[in-house]
Amino acid sequence: MSINEEKTNINQNDHEIDTLTNDRLIKDHSYDGIRELDNDLPPWWKWLFYITIIFAIIYMLGLWVFDWDSLYQEKEYNKEVAEAVKTAPKQQVQVELKVLTDASSLENGKATYDKICQVCHLLDGGGLVGPNFTDDYWIHGNSLEKMFAVVENGVIEKGMIPYKDQLPPTQRLEVISYIITLRGTIPASPKAPQGELLDWPY
Amino acid sequence: MITNLKFMALEKFTYDNKLAKNFAVATILWGVVGFLVGLIAALAILWPEVSMKLPFLTFGRLRPLHTNAAIFAFVGNSIFTGIYYSMPRLLKTPMFSQKLGKIHFWGWQLIIVLAAVTLMAGITTGKEYAELEWPIDILIAGIWVVFGWNMIATIIKRRVQHIYVAIWFYLATFVTVAVLHIVNSFELPISLFKSYSLYSGVQDALVQWWYGHNAVAFFLTTPVLGLMYYFLPKAANRPIYSYKLSIIHFWALIFLYIWAGPHHLLYSSIPDWTQALGVVFSVVLIAPSWGGMINGLLTLRGAWDKVRQDPVLKMFVVGVTSYGMSTFEGPLLSLKSVNAISHFTDWTIAHVHIGTLGWNGMMAFGMLYWLFPRFYKVKLYSTSLANTHFWLATLGMLFFAIPLYFAGFTQALMWKQFTPEGFLKYTNFLETYTQIRPMHMLRAVGGVMYLTGAGIMVYNLIKTAGAGKFVRFENDEAPAREVKPHGNETWHRRLERKPVLFTIWALVAILIGGIVEFVPMFLVKSNVPTISSVQPYTPLELEGRDIYIREGCYNCHSQMIRPFRSEVERYGEYSKSGEFIYDHPFQWGSRRTGPDLARIGVKTTKNYKPDSWHYEHLVNPQKTNIQSIMPPYPWLVENDMDIESIPKKIRAMQTLGVPYPKGYDEKAIDDLKKQAHEIASGLRASGIEVEDQKKIIALIAYMQRLGTDISKNAGSASK
Repeated sequence: MSINEEKTNINQNDHEIDTLTNDRLIKDHSYDGIRELDNDLPPWWKWLFYITIIFAIIYMLGLWVFDWDSLYQEKEYNKEVAEAVKTAPKQQVQVELKVLTDASSLENGKATYDKICQVCHLLDGGGLVGPNFTDDYWIHGNSLEKMFAVVENGVIEKGMIPYKDQLPPTQRLEVISYIITLRGTIPASPKAPQGELLDWPY
Repeated sequence: MITNLKFMALEKFTYDNKLAKNFAVATILWGVVGFLVGLIAALAILWPEVSMKLPFLTFGRLRPLHTNAAIFAFVGNSIFTGIYYSMPRLLKTPMFSQKLGKIHFWGWQLIIVLAAVTLMAGITTGKEYAELEWPIDILIAGIWVVFGWNMIATIIKRRVQHIYVAIWFYLATFVTVAVLHIVNSFELPISLFKSYSLYSGVQDALVQWWYGHNAVAFFLTTPVLGLMYYFLPKAANRPIYSYKLSIIHFWALIFLYIWAGPHHLLYSSIPDWTQALGVVFSVVLIAPSWGGMINGLLTLRGAWDKVRQDPVLKMFVVGVTSYGMSTFEGPLLSLKSVNAISHFTDWTIAHVHIGTLGWNGMMAFGMLYWLFPRFYKVKLYSTSLANTHFWLATLGMLFFAIPLYFAGFTQALMWKQFTPEGFLKYTNFLETYTQIRPMHMLRAVGGVMYLTGAGIMVYNLIKTAGAGKFVRFENDEAPAREVKPHGNETWHRRLERKPVLFTIWALVAILIGGIVEFVPMFLVKSNVPTISSVQPYTPLELEGRDIYIREGCYNCHSQMIRPFRSEVERYGEYSKSGEFIYDHPFQWGSRRTGPDLARIGVKTTKNYKPDSWHYEHLVNPQKTNIQSIMPPYPWLVENDMDIESIPKKIRAMQTLGVPYPKGYDEKAIDDLKKQAHEIASGLRASGIEVEDQKKIIALIAYMQRLGTDISKNAGSASK
């Protein structure tokens, strides 16, 4: 057996001492040469254990006895929503329906388009699931009022969802103004015309 | 004892190193494979072109392959290496049977190969970390019994009086993994390659994460603690810091761990009381986990000068420290307020990789560097190469984890951000991914470093083996074990004389938590309130669901809307437990690389898309958004769905309690064809050429069904 005898002293009390740490080795504990020391649990470790157990007890009491709202997710959710209604009401600021032509509005409109609209109408407006924006055919009309209404309320049976809960009115106007600039451009693979041929009102 | 030995007759016996060496070679091989697949998966997330339109190279199939390879192949083989080397020496007897050992070895490698082939082929149960189908599950159970039988028989014929702490951990591992694997794998087969989980929805989720969490506990933790208790004191030539700490932390760890599974399901549809148990037991686990760490680190007192020079000890130190870090982080992530941010993000991915790359990887590498010179009776070929490996692995782990912590936090905050007007700031999910893409690139760099380190190890170990000659047999001697009275031994010391009783107590300790959590969930109805409008899937939707599982969609898309204002705003009404009662298995997912799909079919939600969009998107996701990282699924248009199996599937669902009308299996095919024709006609009307029986039709049908049952009742799902 490969007990490290050079590292252990047997003192008068028959206790073996580990000379590197001066800790007491446990008698008869040797497994393939691995010895074990007789150290107690570190006090900080014991306290850590006790504190977590106390935390656990308080937490479960909070759930089962004190009915703390924060431990019930439905209550927590209702509270969050109530708070949101109070602090951030969806102000539907009315905008004047007028095509925007200034560079920064069109830039904002393009940013929104590239993020949201292109998923169905493609980046160049050529249309994929949604209709082509570059030709003169329109399914739901091409007046600003009608286009605004489509973006606001959607045409869900065709797959166009309403954006009144996602885009504030100014942003809707910006994106429509940008879409208007797409007419007459040449997309990579234009979708076949849909709807009726309409005069261009802009 | 030393004096006593001199009077006892010594018996001579021989250890056979072959089994340990074979497992060591398998550890190295599967380790490299597991890391490599992880790297490919990391690249596939960044560039969908990496999948090359091949089904088996999509992230949905690579991810289960990577996790299974890392856990069961790499860590699994490393555990067996350590156990077959240390156990005979700790018990002073050769293994009970070399033949059983051989069956174990080849059986385990066969399981790994079968796992790799089936997972790449899309044969999966759709339950994370338990994806393997039922024939492989049975094989695993059989091989596990062979392993346990050999282990317990060896313990029984030992020459030492008491079993050492490493053996306690090995025994707890054996019984608990057996229980976890069997209970979680109850499934109803409908063919050789397909089965349905016996549990559904909320119960399935609870069982699955009891399993998933404790696979971490009893496959990645307890056996590796056992290895630590042997190889660390051996390599340092130091005594274990505290025997008392070993006792306390062992029993506390195995008893408490089993309860903590629900912390994977915080803010999901499981009841509040179950979530609370998950929270508190995770927090109480800190001290028992750290007990293992401090018993490891404090064992090195007096040997720190050695640590500076010896790559084996360096690796053990980083391994044990990583263990301490991730077992502190785990409870932190289990606090609901933290989990509300971390869950479904890269934070979790970073956390688990500190565990696997740091703790499991480093412990395995250290052990291999210690073992090879002993196997071949030669010095390690190059200490400086081993040091290089140490630094590459340590820095690789940090390069991997730190960007992911950053990414997880960033994405969570973006998901939750509202504008002053009360709109979601980042309405398009993809924006929140594009933002963290650079972090994913850095993560891949970390992965390359870690893999390179492993490559250097392979070279170093091959060179070491080449310089020596394999020593298969090693002689040892010890006195026979005579049954001596226990005298004034403590109760635990007496228990250490009785390995079978010890195992039974360990079994009792690990059963309690599971029973307390499961029984009320299965028996008390109020835990899963029924919703009358929730109906079984149509046959086409059921087929679509199987395709969803097969393609591993759950690896990137969750189906669980948490009760947060930001999630309800983005995805619709938060998920209710009663919605999942026909989901065998549940598909809640654990990471949102893509958006949640729980209500993708509800027309009033912001994510709703028409059939034709789904078609275009599945065939070519980059067409609908160039920045999309979803791989294309062209084979869904080319391949036919499995219509013949539908009656069998309906009957299986009826057996599992899904209330299809009697005899519906015979009408199911007609219904399927009718619904498929409707969807395909709609697509054709919008100019898409597609046949009724193609897989994509079923998948679209399934997605358009998702979340809709509950909105029929409520009128509007989002408000």
